Amino acid sequence: MAASVVRGALALCTNFTRQVAFVQKIPWTATADELRKHFPHFGHITKCILPFDKETGLHKGMCWIYFSSEEALQNAVQHENHVVDGVKVHIQVQKPKILQGDQTSDERERFLR
Amino acid sequence: MAALLRPARWLLAAGVPPRLPLSLRFLAAGPGRPRVVSCLPAARARPFAGELLNQARLYAIAAERKNDLEENSSHRRNASFPRRDTDQFSWALMRLDTSVRRTGRITKGLLQKVFESTCHSGNPSGNQALLLLRSCGSLLPEISFKERTDFVHKIWDRLQELGTVYDVSHYNALLKVYLQNKYKFSPTDFLAKMEEANIQPNRVTYQRLIAAYCNVGDIEGASKILEFMKNKDLPVTEGVFSALVTGHATAGDMENAENILTVMRETGIEPGPDTYLALLNAYAEKGDIDHVKQTLEKVQKSDLYLMDRDLLQLIFSFSKAGYPQYVSEVLEKITYERRYIPDAMNLILLLVTEKLEDTALQVLLACPVSREGSLTNFGNFFLRHCVTMNTPAEKLIDYCKKLKDAQMHTTPLQFTLHCALQGSKTDLAKTLIKALKEEGFPVRTHYFWPLLVGHQKERNVQGIIDILKAMREVGVEPDQETYVNYVLPSFDNVESVRVLLQENECLPESTSFGIAELRSEAVKGNLDFVLSFLKSNTLPLSFNSLRKSLILGFRRSMNIHLWSKITELLYKDGRYCQEPPGPREAVGYFLYNLIGSMSDSEVQANEEHLRQYFHQLKEMNIKIYENIYRGIRNLLDSYHVPELIKDVNILVEREKRDSQKTSSDLEATLEKLKDNNQPIGDVLKQLILTLCSEENMQKALEVKTKYESDMVVSSYAALINLCCRHDNAEDALNLKQEFERLDSSAVLHTNKYVGLVKVLGKHGKLQDAINILKEMKEKNVPIQDATLLSFFHILNGAALRGEIETVKQLHEAIVTLGLAKPSTNISFPLVTVHLEKGDLLAALEAMIVCYKKYKILPRMHDVLCKLVEKGETDLIQKAMDFVSQEQGEMTMLYDIFFAFLQTGNYKEAKKIMETPGIRARPTKLQWFCDRCITNNKREALEKLVELTQNLFECDRDQLYYSLLKLYKKNGDWQRADAIWNKMQEENIIPREKTLRLLADILKDNNQEVPFDVPELWYDDDEHSPNSSPRPVDPLTEKAVLNACQQRKNRDAYNIFLRAQRQNIIFSSDTYRTLTQLLLLTDNFTQAIEVKMAAETHIKGFTLNDAANSFLIIAQVRRDYLKEALTTLKTALDLDQTPSKLSVTRLIQAFASKGDVQSVEAIQKMVSGHDSIGLSGMIFINNIALAQIKNNNIDVAIENIENMLTSGNQTIESRYFGLSYLFRKAIEEQIEPAVEKLSIMAERLANQFAVYKPVTDLFLQLVQLGKVDDARALLQAPVLNSLLELIPELREKEEAYTSAMKTYVLDNDVPSAKMLYKYLTAKNMKMNDLFLKRYALLLKNAGEPVPFIEPPESFEFYSKQLKESKENPS
Repeated sequence: MAASVVRGALALCTNFTRQVAFVQKIPWTATADELRKHFPHFGHITKCILPFDKETGLHKGMCWIYFSSEEALQNAVQHENHVVDGVKVHIQVQKPKILQGDQTSDERERFLR
Repeated sequence: MAALLRPARWLLAAGVPPRLPLSLRFLAAGPGRPRVVSCLPAARARPFAGELLNQARLYAIAAERKNDLEENSSHRRNASFPRRDTDQFSWALMRLDTSVRRTGRITKGLLQKVFESTCHSGNPSGNQALLLLRSCGSLLPEISFKERTDFVHKIWDRLQELGTVYDVSHYNALLKVYLQNKYKFSPTDFLAKMEEANIQPNRVTYQRLIAAYCNVGDIEGASKILEFMKNKDLPVTEGVFSALVTGHATAGDMENAENILTVMRETGIEPGPDTYLALLNAYAEKGDIDHVKQTLEKVQKSDLYLMDRDLLQLIFSFSKAGYPQYVSEVLEKITYERRYIPDAMNLILLLVTEKLEDTALQVLLACPVSREGSLTNFGNFFLRHCVTMNTPAEKLIDYCKKLKDAQMHTTPLQFTLHCALQGSKTDLAKTLIKALKEEGFPVRTHYFWPLLVGHQKERNVQGIIDILKAMREVGVEPDQETYVNYVLPSFDNVESVRVLLQENECLPESTSFGIAELRSEAVKGNLDFVLSFLKSNTLPLSFNSLRKSLILGFRRSMNIHLWSKITELLYKDGRYCQEPPGPREAVGYFLYNLIGSMSDSEVQANEEHLRQYFHQLKEMNIKIYENIYRGIRNLLDSYHVPELIKDVNILVEREKRDSQKTSSDLEATLEKLKDNNQPIGDVLKQLILTLCSEENMQKALEVKTKYESDMVVSSYAALINLCCRHDNAEDALNLKQEFERLDSSAVLHTNKYVGLVKVLGKHGKLQDAINILKEMKEKNVPIQDATLLSFFHILNGAALRGEIETVKQLHEAIVTLGLAKPSTNISFPLVTVHLEKGDLLAALEAMIVCYKKYKILPRMHDVLCKLVEKGETDLIQKAMDFVSQEQGEMTMLYDIFFAFLQTGNYKEAKKIMETPGIRARPTKLQWFCDRCITNNKREALEKLVELTQNLFECDRDQLYYSLLKLYKKNGDWQRADAIWNKMQEENIIPREKTLRLLADILKDNNQEVPFDVPELWYDDDEHSPNSSPRPVDPLTEKAVLNACQQRKNRDAYNIFLRAQRQNIIFSSDTYRTLTQLLLLTDNFTQAIEVKMAAETHIKGFTLNDAANSFLIIAQVRRDYLKEALTTLKTALDLDQTPSKLSVTRLIQAFASKGDVQSVEAIQKMVSGHDSIGLSGMIFINNIALAQIKNNNIDVAIENIENMLTSGNQTIESRYFGLSYLFRKAIEEQIEPAVEKLSIMAERLANQFAVYKPVTDLFLQLVQLGKVDDARALLQAPVLNSLLELIPELREKEEAYTSAMKTYVLDNDVPSAKMLYKYLTAKNMKMNDLFLKRYALLLKNAGEPVPFIEPPESFEFYSKQLKESKENPS
């Protein structure tokens, strides 16, 4: 668990270079499970977020997949044909956002010091 | 332009061939032949005709609107309000236009939207009205005829109400919509209506009225109007004849229908496609395929041409008249023109609307769509519309199968289901799901969610049960998400769900319901439930899986007692922490996430609760690991509640730790240990670290040599860094090697590696430096922005020292190892090293090499400038040839232009700008502008602006803006003022930001602003009024700002320190930003240092509002109250508005010190600064608190009572909140004060009917867990008034129990009855004591008891209640 805290902190640190793919046009029939089954072909994935709209009970066809390495992410993004549930989905690297919060390097150091 | 001309040319070359699209055919007709396209009813009606005409119309309106807009905006630049509406309207209009252009149809939703925004815009113009009216016909194939007509009537009436004036065009448009929608109306009534409105019908009106008559076969009526037209000498056109064809046919007289064609020819009008189409439709409606075929052949033989959309019309006629069997014969004749698909789609939609889905499918299947590439789906529009029109499920399933067999659609069933779910068609969806299952597709749980959502919204419990049953039928087990999100929210309590599910045999055997139950109650904050569930639970559950819901629940219910109970259970009970990391990890991680999930204000507000929680955990002997504690500490730090850190700290399980000792102490200890042959490792480590921090390199190295065998890796790392700092390459390298020998896998911190590279490079140990770089790569040392900057400085240092080889090799190593990308910045030194030596040829060559290797040209501009300065014509030529060859002539021209400008060769620069074909390169121009601004090159920038006056596509306003920026920097208002005139001369319309900037400059220099300043609606991020020109270093300053922006406080501060050493001064804004960031990240001392530096560099430097607020908070936290007061005074003197929080904290700090004077001083200071938003109560509360702290309780109470009872109250008594005072007094256990305050509160309530204080006190007591005191307060006679004031109070157990007791004592049966009724209605659980009392009261009054009286005695229940309070289960 200590490891997971540190990992969490590291994930926080590497936030603007974190390996996240943004997937669009996901068919409504698919759930995070289907995506979790599809993407490991390209590398280990740590998290898959497919938000459902509680107002409609349907998702909006968008999903964020967190890969454990840059390599895996690149593998996935460079692959041409991603077919989930018989539908071609669209994948791209999630554009980095500037981290809200304290300085990252400091944070990590404080954690590991 | 060429692209724009091309289609026109194509048109011109094509002449007017018969195959032109229909509408162009009409446009091509001579002026003598009026347009008749629109006068046909169903025949040639809209979806199949006239898009282009419609489109032209839409365009025309759009253009008019645009003109209006422009006129508006030139008159009134600030008129933002009306503009927004018109903008919205033109946006809607554009959507309508796009929709018609792309698909030939409009959706109802879109039309509705445009209608609404038209109404919203106030006074709709005639054009807008026309547009809306015309859209209500065949452009809406998805809507039934009736609905369309209803809609057009709605629009007509509403617009009329809004004051739109209708003319004949509107009436004609309405007529056309009637015809298209086959609306039966009386033409004479219509004419009467027009007459009433005093509108003269025109030829088009008559034509359409004839068509209306003909549509119902009323030849007589049509003839009357025809007669009338002839009398008026109005020309009879093809349209009239076509209508007559339809008329005769509808009347059943086909012979005369045919004859019309002859009549036409006699009058000199040759029957065109429209007439033939009317005839064809007439035969189709009779199901006469033979005549249709004959007519078609006839048309083919003539030089006329029927288009696909005409044939589609024919299909509709056959199908509508009940002859679908002939559809395939017409389909065969279709040629599939380019615009076929949208037309066919519109027909398909129309057919579905008309419940002719089978024909629709037939047309769909005949569509020529590519079936290759297995992933293309065609037919969604059809399926969706079928669902909307409630096509029977069996039919739909069959259609899906056919579409799939035809390879048109890969997942038709899934798509149809999607549509059904979106449209909440539950029955259809259920049938489709079954079909899917039968087809062997997976049926997933979330397919049912949209259906559950529908019932959830209506709280339709039966509906939900039905869905759950349906799920069961297809073998889908609801999962936790289903229960938590979609089932449980519809029920009042979980137990009822369980019962209901059990009754309906829907309760699953799996654990999902149980866990869902727990999760959903947890989220609601029902911690009692959570605790009892966890106690009795047998399901396999882990702490971590409950984390999220628990956190939500904890935050919902601030019951610290339950918090700790639950935490303790999860921590101590083996069931919940079976996973390997164990409970200590799990609890720590939970706490970290709990705090992390709260916002800073939430943590601040609940500081005391959290403190209690941590202390209770401590008492329960719960421990967390230190690393997690650090994470929590950082969180609390960033939330600005460092006060809580010490309270978390008590939970930490830590190893023992020596307190700080000096190096000499340590050395003595070390020697003693050594003498006694005891292990010295720890002490040695400490000694080395201490010596390093004392910067005593000599001693540290000596100690290391002496105790070499006991040295550990971390000590070496510290020593290496120390040597690097002391520029001792020799020892650093040796230590590094020893470090390596000790543990070859050990990794140093990035900064230490960089330090090594730097010192080794500096001392000529190139190979060693490169080896370090290699090691960094091999060991995957993290590279950060700061590291890259360090690399640059290492290289640049070498370049400045003129060490060509060092620069080259290190750069090469860094780049090829991939430690840094070969950016322009990092490659700067490669050229710099030659420039420094004045070797321009080498510099140029180095640059060219860089380009060849990395496609970058570092310091191009500097090299060129130097070449120009030295007049090295040959080399300039060489450089220019290279650039134009590699990057194009335009880039070359700009490069040399900038070099000339920079070096003051303006004549040459001018010549460059006169090169034919040169055009603006905005980014390049901006680059040079920014450079001029940062380097304060006024003349060069002025020349740039002057010389580019005639540059093609040049954004003049932007250039002037840059120039103004420079003037502003220099406070040069005279020049700025001149710009204003120059821009007018040049006829430039300045943007708002330019005007604002100019106005700022003039205002700053106390000049009058000669124009209206556009108002700001957001805070401009650049306002530095009092920054004067100073030696600023753009590179460093930018680095600071960048770091600040990314909130890298440490980087930013380091750059600041470096700048201080190099005597580089920043602008005030930069200092301000940095100070603010440092305060925000709680680096108080650093912030003060920056502030002081700024004050020494910049006269009159002040912080802004936000920074001052942060400063006050930081000072308060460190108990520097006097300084904080000074800061507040400074801010207020500058007319700033410090944040409410900062002032509040300062006031509270003084109050808790008992410093009445200071609180009063602040009150005086802030009076008049209402924008801070302080409540008047804050001073009353805090002054009273301060007095209480000074043991002046009576004075405090007297003051408050006076305020509340005197005639002239400044604050109304119901706003007189004393919660803060009460809470503080209770929390800090100032017993006499609490006592006197409660007496005061009761007195105020009883004698003066002021209830607010007693209510506040009661709530505080309850919140702080002093239930008994609260109860005591309630038993006072004030209780009833209290309950009247806050009826919700009755729901609190303490309250209602006490209330009942009072009623029994007073024998007040009616009140007791009301209370009982109230609680029953609220579905509250009443305790036995309460019921017992009530029963007794009723019995005494001789009334029946409506429940079973609890059998035991009062004492029993009272004891039971007390026990259950003490040990809540």
